[in-house]
Amino acid sequence: MSIMQYNGSAIVAMAGKGCVAIAADKRLGQRALTVDTEFQKVFPITDRTYIGLPGLATDVKTLYDRFRMRVNLYKHNEERTIEPKTFSHLVSHMLYERRFGPYFVEPVVAGLDKNDEPYICGMDLIGCINFAKDFIVGGTASDNLYGMCESLWEPELGPEDLFETISQALLNAVDRDALSGWGAVVHIITPEGVITRDLKGRMD
Amino acid sequence: MAALRAGEANLGTTIMAVEFDGGVVVGADSRTTTGSYIANRVTDKLTKVHEHIYCCRSGSAADTQAVADVVKYHLDMYSAQHGEAPTVKVAASLFQEICYQNKNNLSAGIIVAGWDARDGASVYNIPLGGSLHRETFAIGGSGSTYIYGYCDKVFRTGMSRDECVEFVKNSVSLAMTRDGSSGGVIRLAVITKAGVERIFVPGNMLPSQYLG
Repeated sequence: MSIMQYNGSAIVAMAGKGCVAIAADKRLGQRALTVDTEFQKVFPITDRTYIGLPGLATDVKTLYDRFRMRVNLYKHNEERTIEPKTFSHLVSHMLYERRFGPYFVEPVVAGLDKNDEPYICGMDLIGCINFAKDFIVGGTASDNLYGMCESLWEPELGPEDLFETISQALLNAVDRDALSGWGAVVHIITPEGVITRDLKGRMD
Repeated sequence: MAALRAGEANLGTTIMAVEFDGGVVVGADSRTTTGSYIANRVTDKLTKVHEHIYCCRSGSAADTQAVADVVKYHLDMYSAQHGEAPTVKVAASLFQEICYQNKNNLSAGIIVAGWDARDGASVYNIPLGGSLHRETFAIGGSGSTYIYGYCDKVFRTGMSRDECVEFVKNSVSLAMTRDGSSGGVIRLAVITKAGVERIFVPGNMLPSQYLG
């Protein structure tokens, strides 16, 4: 079993009309054993930018702490909040710094920029940025998520419709993956604020 | 013992069989995986090898299907030649012979259970090496490791048919929650002199438990 599959995860981000959504499962496993059903994998970076971290759980926790420190320092120096695109490049840089001994995560970034335009991107474990206008997927259920997103996503979805779409994409993808699931969280980021909802799903 | 090849279908599994006065209850989850992909989420792992004899399959899907087919053939021959149904002991012995002699090439954990006129209800556990163990209740598959304590605490001899059904349902359900290789629905079969009754428990009707 690959090191990226040891803990299991499923993360997806989607762009809508004037909003973005990012969702993740809540399982923490050790190979086939489920150890935690409330493990956080999506973290707020600013009020309008979130990052999802699928992959090895120890690196998920470590990287979130490192990002938090770098973003706080950015705010001190720049006296403004960091934009999602800038943050993505910061993440990419930090990952490539470890090119020959990488962190085993493949981040997914979702946010609204200062003009309220949606921004989403994904990265591989050494920081190659994958920019997209529709959706980004990550984790052990990524193949399943690609199929679900490709068929369910359409452009210009409002916050409520985007919530339904991303929820169905995530729920049905993790139900076909033995290593992810056991609950899900969805964040909808709009200019007015962030709405966070817990999804009721299969617990097997 | 052979390990599963890459891409081979795996009955990760939780399987169980319990004896009661007059029959047996067999039960299993319904998940088949290839790697971490769930290839079949409604698998039937309870396989009939004769009218009143079922086997629960865990390990390699291909291996257990092949072995069960061979045993089914032999039991069919047996009843034709002897003019009477084979005993569960005979069926278990056939499974054992195949699993033991081919242990280097197979990955199969099988529980054989049923009812016959000579010995009544019987449950036999045949783990990976091909040993044979008669038990009052047997658990197997990757998910079984999580319910040894629960089963040892809750089981008692002299349970009724309905109590056995609840016992299997609750045990398999607990294993399905913790084991990534088990999940889906619970399939049960109650085998008595009168025949076989199949019970189906969908995912949204699993017994309630603490889910974190």
